[in-house]
Amino acid sequence: MKAWILRSFRKGIITSKFPGGRNENASPWSTPPVYRKGDQDPYCPVGAISQGKADANRCISCGLCYPNYEPSMDIHGSVSSVSVPALKKSIRIYQIDVGSCGACNLEIGALANPQYDMARLGISFTNTPRHADALLVSGVLTDNMREPLMRAYEAMAEPRVVFAVGACAISGSLLGKAVSDTLRIDVTVPGCPPDPFTIMDAVQKARGVK
Amino acid sequence: MKQSHMAFMESGNFLYTLDRFKEVPVLYKGENIKEALQEKIVSTDSSLSIFPYGPSSGGMVESVYFDILTQGERIQKVSFDAGFKNRSIKLSGLSMGDALLRIERMNGVHSAAYSSMFCHIWEKGIAMDIPDQIKYLRVAMMEAERISSHLFVASRLTGGASQNIAHMNILLLREELLRAIASAFGHRYFFGVNRLGGISRPVNINGFQKKIRQISDEYREIFHTLMDSRVFIDRLDRSAIIKGENSSGPAMRASGIKKDGRNLHRYYEGLEFKTITSDGGDALARFMVRSGEIHESASIIEQALLHSGDLKPDPEVNEGSDSFMAGGFMETPSGDASMIIKVRDGKLESTGFMSPSILNMEAFAGSVSGNTFADFLFGYESLGIWVCEMGDFQ
Repeated sequence: MKAWILRSFRKGIITSKFPGGRNENASPWSTPPVYRKGDQDPYCPVGAISQGKADANRCISCGLCYPNYEPSMDIHGSVSSVSVPALKKSIRIYQIDVGSCGACNLEIGALANPQYDMARLGISFTNTPRHADALLVSGVLTDNMREPLMRAYEAMAEPRVVFAVGACAISGSLLGKAVSDTLRIDVTVPGCPPDPFTIMDAVQKARGVK
Repeated sequence: MKQSHMAFMESGNFLYTLDRFKEVPVLYKGENIKEALQEKIVSTDSSLSIFPYGPSSGGMVESVYFDILTQGERIQKVSFDAGFKNRSIKLSGLSMGDALLRIERMNGVHSAAYSSMFCHIWEKGIAMDIPDQIKYLRVAMMEAERISSHLFVASRLTGGASQNIAHMNILLLREELLRAIASAFGHRYFFGVNRLGGISRPVNINGFQKKIRQISDEYREIFHTLMDSRVFIDRLDRSAIIKGENSSGPAMRASGIKKDGRNLHRYYEGLEFKTITSDGGDALARFMVRSGEIHESASIIEQALLHSGDLKPDPEVNEGSDSFMAGGFMETPSGDASMIIKVRDGKLESTGFMSPSILNMEAFAGSVSGNTFADFLFGYESLGIWVCEMGDFQ
């Protein structure tokens, strides 16, 4: 026990000041790319680049547009069509994987890491959709996960917010169908996978906290 | 129910899914469980029950369905269905570059291993020599990924055993590692770094080895403190024992078999490392093997980066229009993955792929009989199974 306590003191405070302060870090290519140079649009395997702009919702963070485009390092790329003041003090998240490569799942889970410590913002995970305020959906929607997704959604009480986390859930990316074909999405969180700061920022936007 | 959902439910597509879902209890309770029921265990003991778990449930990282036959708190049989989230990814007809993007996403958490394996196979097929510098950089990427993956498994085990301080300390280290990877390679999961014959963007490894060494040293300290915890050891000890060669990677090495694909791979020639083994075959042995491998991986990264250094992206290589057939393997953090490809005129014609998680999932289902229900999580998590890599990749 003593070893743990000493170790904790040695480490000091490592939790981010975000969203009160700036994010200390971001995964470069998980942020939307921005135009730097070149006369022609570079090749993009998902057609996210057009006329000097990159569509963050389609971008799969492959970096094939480099060096014409470079990462923006902007973690505020999520878009929320809702603002739910009832969730300002506390929001409980249920994460559902409907066909992901695993990376989005881990980035959502990373919010519980000491560096992000989502609990300080009143964000917590729940093990059942019945207790959830927010459904964080990751991956392309497979046929077999459609019903579990719908059941999870129907089990949630109002007000409920649905997040599409990552390019697969938002647009289907290279690998399949978008979640929005089945379920109305309230918040899109771009990136492949999105940086944990981007996910945290999206949750705050949906609650109307800034 | 909302109007849009009603409309969707009435569509043929959804009805198909609904039927499919209804089939699950019959189809996937599994032959072994049906056999157990036929053995009249049920008729003689009313305490026997089937516990359905999943496909989406709290506590699991990915969507997977289990039927768990229990008698009291003892597990009698387990069968699984990994088909819920399985993506059907078509690779045939694609060029090397387009296929690579999909292969990186077979398992995003082990993307460096899969993309390196695919690049290596294709390069072998067209007899392309790659500089040692690139070879060693790929090794450094794969070993950093191995540390990250093993730390994740360790965090799941410590979290499951309510060792919350250790759990948080391990998550902290993993996050530090992912940030160091992002800073050096531009992406926390190495997406888009590998390319045929080289790398696709600048890599800055300044200070990377030092960070890896620091993480490895800190993990060693955590590991030794955990080994003093009777509570933690008791939870893992004798959970889900797997013996013999019916598993892959750390799971196989934890049953005393000294097999590691890295010893046979060309990329690892000239690098010194120990193959870590243990002999218990249980969750504790697998945890100890993974912990040992973290330190070995740190040592491999140091050696590899001595030969590598900062790199600039290579000019784009012409993928060509060769026709060939080639195969290869790679030791991913979960075990040995292998792939064989047939290419015609520069496009993939067919692909055969074997992931370690298929073998490990079957080994897991066979290993938990007789364990208590509480051991289920430790058995599963200690194997580092990834359902995403069990999909249909053709």
